[in-house]
Amino acid sequence: MTQILEAVSIVKSFGAIRVLEDVSVTVNKGEIVGLLGPNGAGKTTLVNIIAGYESQNSGTVSMDSRSLDGLTPEARTHAGLARTFQSGRLFPELSVAENIVLGGIGVGESTKKANRRALDAIELLGLGDVTSEPAGGLSHGLSRLVGLARALTADPDYLIMDEPAAGLNDHETPVLLTALESIRVESGCGMLLIEHNVGLVADACTRVFVLASGEMLFEGTPHDALIDEGVLTAYLGDATMGLHGGRA
Amino acid sequence: MSNDLLPSSQLPGVTRFQWQQLLGPIVVVVIVAYAASSVSASFAFLTEGTLALLVMVLALQVLIGNSGVLSFGQAAFAMVGGFATGLLTVPVRIKENVLDELWEPLKMINMGIYPSLVIAVAIGAFLAFITGLFLMRLSGLAAGIATFAVLMVADNVLFNWKLIGPGPQVMPQVPKFGFIDESIAIAVLVMIVVYLIGISRRGRLLRATREDALAARALGASIWRLRVLFFTASGGIAALSGAMYAHHAGAVSARDFYLGFTFTTLAMLVIGGASSVWGAVVGTILVTAIGQVLLVFEGGVTLGSIEFTLPNGVRGLVIAAALVVILIWRPRGVTGGKEFRVPFLSRT
Repeated sequence: MTQILEAVSIVKSFGAIRVLEDVSVTVNKGEIVGLLGPNGAGKTTLVNIIAGYESQNSGTVSMDSRSLDGLTPEARTHAGLARTFQSGRLFPELSVAENIVLGGIGVGESTKKANRRALDAIELLGLGDVTSEPAGGLSHGLSRLVGLARALTADPDYLIMDEPAAGLNDHETPVLLTALESIRVESGCGMLLIEHNVGLVADACTRVFVLASGEMLFEGTPHDALIDEGVLTAYLGDATMGLHGGRA
Repeated sequence: MSNDLLPSSQLPGVTRFQWQQLLGPIVVVVIVAYAASSVSASFAFLTEGTLALLVMVLALQVLIGNSGVLSFGQAAFAMVGGFATGLLTVPVRIKENVLDELWEPLKMINMGIYPSLVIAVAIGAFLAFITGLFLMRLSGLAAGIATFAVLMVADNVLFNWKLIGPGPQVMPQVPKFGFIDESIAIAVLVMIVVYLIGISRRGRLLRATREDALAARALGASIWRLRVLFFTASGGIAALSGAMYAHHAGAVSARDFYLGFTFTTLAMLVIGGASSVWGAVVGTILVTAIGQVLLVFEGGVTLGSIEFTLPNGVRGLVIAAALVVILIWRPRGVTGGKEFRVPFLSRT
């Protein structure tokens, strides 16, 4: 069985507006893949289609040779596909620890195992000081990390992260980078990283896809993406902008 | 924090069983119930009725507190529970004399209070399950209106259909509980069940769906299934409340469980705090106490040479005003929606 998350030839329109045009993305197990693109490129729509929150007009989504088309988001989560949200989307009145533990309970793990995995995720992402805090009171950056910890507690085969570094400070971003590499090595999880932080993508990913105006502009290594004329023009607008560690 | 140092069962901030959260409300209910019922026979009667209301508020808490889905229809299941236990326990000769249009097989049935309570709960839960399959696909205003429609259907059927009840009349001679202990024991049992349901794995997931349904789906939670499950549990408990009310009053009619009952029990839940068993207990005691004080004033009170008499209906106005005040300034209720907690006994 091929261990790969695939979205093939995805087409999506909202009314007369075509948002995605024949877009394909693949993520191998144990690989971190970046998805770049300017605002409005269709990244979040693609993520929502892969995770089952929206349906495509045509194309297929599959995981390890099993079609995910027609499955609800919760069924995809049970199948081993987890996601985080651009806005965090924590359960604000529940504690940070409860948010994270529910990631395991939601996929049917025993309470003991869910607690154990939550502890692992808390330690990995440095969240030990805020476990008892209500999740609604966290900063944007911490909310992203808690959202990531919640997804990790489900022990997914594949993980889609929607801008996990947005709002992180200079101390938290390296923690995230180290955590992603640790997850990749230890669990073999395949990860799709949607991110504006080009430096983070370059450091974390082995391959990147670049979307622009709903079309796939580039697929290759981060290094090649950073010197590709088309990418620089479409994504950054100005090829002279700082690329290493900079935010587009 | 280190994994090696901290047992997973002690992860701070995680929902877990805490004795004080359960024992606190139970102790308060038992003490208040015995104290109030020892004052006089009329207070004992009031206490028994209030315990039936507490069970209804707990039924609402199971659904509304955990899911955030507003239901105006749970009183329908209380109505069903009251009728079911009445039909099962009213003596055959009474049914033959008073309920002459009743379906013959129902006339012949007669059993003790406790088996009838079990059957009433089963019928209430079953009907809630059937209606929940459809209604729990709805949220917000749509769910509120649809559940209210369920209440109207139940009221119309039971108020008019003499084949299964007294119609617009009262079903008399429902056997009464012998002692206040029985109502207290049932209320305590329901408090235990509702607390355990709330901290169960499914209860915790349902609370997550209450906070953010979209994100909860990403956890693998089926919102509809969870809601149907809790709607069913709520319906069963509501039926028990209706049955308790019937055995408290010694009679039952459809209108016992209509708009006034619905409004009062929802006000109790909101005023106390919908998210906890403690909130249900505090709300029930507070609203009952305020109502009784105002009732005394409505009957006229003489202080020295001055007589105070409040117009009839002031009770309802004050409770409605309290509800509005709570909704505006303290929407999580006077308990803040938290469970009973003694600070120095709390670990987290």
